This record gives sequence, structure tokens and C-alpha cells, in this order.
Amino acid sequence: MLNNKKLRFTIVDAAVILCLIAAVYLFVAKAGDVLDYKWAWNKIVPYFFYFDRASGRLVPNVLATGFGVTVKLSLWSTLLGLMLGVVSGIAGARGSLEQRFISRVYVETARNIPSLVLVIIFYYFVSSQFLDALHLDTWLRTASGNTRKIFSLLFAGPDRINSFVSAVAALGIYEGAYVSEIIRGGIISIPEGQWEAALSVGLSRRRTFVLIILPQTFRRVAFPLAGQFISTIKDSSIVSVISIQELTFQGMELMSATFLTFEIWITVTGLYFILTFSLSRAVAFLENKYRLRY
Amino acid sequence: MKKILCVVAVISLFLCSFASANESVIEKIEKRGVIRVGMSTFVPWAMKDKKGRLVGFEIDVAKKLAQDMGVKVEFVPTAWSGIIPALLTGKFDVIIGGMGITPRRNLKVNFTIPYEYSGMSIVASRARAKGFSSLGDFNKKNVVIAVRMGTTAEQAARKYMPDASFKLFDNESQAIQELILGRVHAVVSSAPMPVFQALKYPDRLFVPIKENFTKEPIGFAIRKGDHDALNFFNNWILNMQANGFLKERQAYWFESKKWEKLVK
Repeated sequence: MLNNKKLRFTIVDAAVILCLIAAVYLFVAKAGDVLDYKWAWNKIVPYFFYFDRASGRLVPNVLATGFGVTVKLSLWSTLLGLMLGVVSGIAGARGSLEQRFISRVYVETARNIPSLVLVIIFYYFVSSQFLDALHLDTWLRTASGNTRKIFSLLFAGPDRINSFVSAVAALGIYEGAYVSEIIRGGIISIPEGQWEAALSVGLSRRRTFVLIILPQTFRRVAFPLAGQFISTIKDSSIVSVISIQELTFQGMELMSATFLTFEIWITVTGLYFILTFSLSRAVAFLENKYRLRY
Repeated sequence: MKKILCVVAVISLFLCSFASANESVIEKIEKRGVIRVGMSTFVPWAMKDKKGRLVGFEIDVAKKLAQDMGVKVEFVPTAWSGIIPALLTGKFDVIIGGMGITPRRNLKVNFTIPYEYSGMSIVASRARAKGFSSLGDFNKKNVVIAVRMGTTAEQAARKYMPDASFKLFDNESQAIQELILGRVHAVVSSAPMPVFQALKYPDRLFVPIKENFTKEPIGFAIRKGDHDALNFFNNWILNMQANGFLKERQAYWFESKKWEKLVK
């Protein structure tokens, strides 16, 4: 590699870091003066877990359950978005004219509607016409104890299942449009020479696509896709408007009840950061591991 | 053939959803064994306690209602600004959420008879609203008032202080925060929250007008045209007024502060 200069920690770096710490400290101190806010951080802890004397166990409280719902929500909408995006992306890059048209319409519609509006449309219109008619909640209520437990663990309990499904659908469709563009761009970016070489050794177009083009595409799109998944986690906070009990919603409810505005916002911010930052580190690790070495 | 099947399936789905619309909510609740109640956090009407459970005046009312109907209760916490659309699209059966009965809301939903009365109260910033002691003092061009969006507090404040300008928030803690920081002159909200806030921050906030300046009836809201449900809920409320349940719960949540240790 050309760019293999070793990074070394020097005295200049140390000075810069010290200056940064001092600036942050000054900012916090200044903000504290202006706000004159009665901090009560100790009150936040029991909202994660509290000790139940009756059963002698630690019980997860609203912030912990909200965190769990955010994880579930992000996971399912990412999966849905990935499925929609891969299909639509391949159709957009290699499909027939109609397939490209359908892919285009989907991508442009989903990308040009604010995600907030999409979520609201799904909740009030699509969900009340279709999901309620499916009677998913009634089925779940009458289902056996184990089925209900597994369903609640993976998705949501019978009281929230309809809104959960409509939130996942809305987020999945929204993210799918971006995934679609990433995949389409990845396929198009593979040089024409790869096609010509594969065809000239006698591979069919289909086998060329599956064996030669797609594997190269996936290496190229992995990093932008990971960025999209991280933004799914962040976008999941908008479904708080349709009363999904995820982290942001729980935080806002808690604020209404306790008036601990800043403690709760800062905690919620920290939780999102832990989630997204660990994911982005994991991706960086994988990226490094599977990098092509020349 | 497949296409025809698809069309038939979609049409029957629509028919299903229309057919069930004629059934009374009461029957639906009984069939399901669960009453779904829409609510939103308003201290001390409904809020989460330390263990993440819902507590409050409304919660007690809804639980008692469910108990008397012999069904379980499910609460659907909903953002206040979207609570009526959520009721109309069937996300829950009834709003028991401290909703004031107003003509404009009544055009969209049906209300029961009132089970409680509330009033608007005002809390002001010591720094910005020094010496203010009447609504007239607040009814000035340069006065800024923070309220929760879409509440009767917003309507009352606009009616009584038409010249003031307003900052609208999605929940009350944000409005109170703005007041504590001294960025607005006052917050208008249902009693008794403003008074409690003034007691909590005595050096920053005060109550300029001792009495509530409006009185408004609070009722359950249900979807329109359901006479069976309306009759059932009305009579339930009459019963609860007669046997003292509502009065006793009101004394506990609005006149005492015993519940405070539940929350913090």
C-alpha cells in the first residue's frame, strides 16, 4: 500500500487532547451556570432496573425495555429493508424495462416522502385497513402461553403488535429504498470487463451475474449498507409519534412524569450512541478483516 | 385466476372491517375480554411510577371500569396531538385521558357525561413576570406563554390572553423547562400541575392567580354513533358518582400529595 505511514502519538497530540478536555469542561461548567438546574442523576438508575423485594430479582424498567424495543424494531426493519432493497436494487440495475420502472417508482416514492409522514400514513391508514382486519392481536391473545411468550420476545405483545408491525413495515420500506440505491450502484460499478471476461469463457449471463458480479458487489456495498443500518437505528426514534414504546417514547413519557428533562435526554442519547457506535466499530473490524489485500 | 382471488381477498378484507363497525364497542370489548384505553401522560392524571407501571387518577378510573365489566385493561399511551385520530382509526376503544369536553372535539367524537371537572391554572417565572397578578398582566404583546400543543390549556390561554404570543410543546415537561430557564413568562395547564411546580421551584416560579381561571368538564371519548357504549359509560359514571368512588380518588390524586413518593 502507498499510504502506510505509521501513526505515532506525539506531544502535539497530547496538547490537542488536553485543550479539547478543557474546552468541554468549560462548556459544561458554563452551561451549568446558565441553566441553574437541579441535577438528580441518582434518580435515573432505577429506571433501567430496579430490585423487586417481593420476588428478589432485578426487574427491567422503562428505559431498559425501551432500549430492547428499539433493538427489535431496528433489527426487523433492517431485515425487511434489506430484502426489499436487494430485490429492488437488482431489478433496478439488471431487470427488464417494467422491473426497472417498478423499482424506480418505489425508490423515488419512498425517498421523497419524509419518513415521519410515511410512518403516520402507515399507522393511521394502512394499518387500520389491513392489519386490524387480519386480527393479529386477537390471534395472539388466544394463542397458547408459549407462542405468546416467543412472539412477545421477538416482536411485541398482543396489546402492541399492530402498531409494532406497521412501524416495522414503514421503516423497512423507507430504508429499503436507500438500500436499493446502494445495491444498484454497487452492481453498476462493476466494470464491464468483468462481464466480457466471464461471457468469453462461456458462462451464461445468469451465472456470470450470480458467480462473478454479485460477490464483488457485496464487498463494495458492505460499508455503505452498514451506514444505512446505523441510520435505521437512529430513524427508529421517529416511530415514537405513533406511540411505539421505544427508547425515545419511553424517555418522553418519563420526562412528562418526572420532569427530569436533561438527565433523561442525556441518558437516551448515550444509549443510542452505545448502540450505533458499537455497530460501527464492529463493521470497521469486519471491513478490515475482509479487505482485499494487493 | 390468481388475480381474481387476490381481488376477492382484498374486497373481503374491506367488508370485514366495515361489518365489524356496526357492532357496539361494548360487545367487542366483551368478546375480546380486554378493554383498550387510550391515554397520555398528564401529572397526576396518568403517569409512570418508579417501577414503570402506570398510575394516576385516570388509571384508577379505567381499572375500576374494567373490573366492573369483568374484563382486563390494556393502556395505549399515545401522543396527545394524535389521540383523537388514533381513537377514530380504532387503535383503542375509549379515551380515558383527562379529555376536556369542547364543542370542537365533540364534532369528531362522542363524549360521556363528565366524571371529573378540571380547570386551567397558571404558573409564572419570578424573573420575567415580576409583579404580574391578573390575566390582564399576561395579555400583552411582549408576553410569551408556553403550553402543551392541542390541549384545552392552549385554547383557554389563547382565549383569555389573545395578545400574548405562544410557544407550543409536545409535552408539559418541556414547557416547564422553558419556564424554569426564564425563556417564557408563564405556563398554562390543568390544575394542579402548575401549583405543584411552583412548590417545587419556589425561588424561580410562583402562582400569580390563586384560583383556576376556567372550569371544564372531563369525559370519556368514544367513536361517534355508539349509543350502547355511551349509555353504558354514562350510567357507570353516575354509579361511581353515587357511591363516592370518583370523589375518593379525586381527593387522593388532586388534593393530597401522598402519591408523590410513588413517582420519584
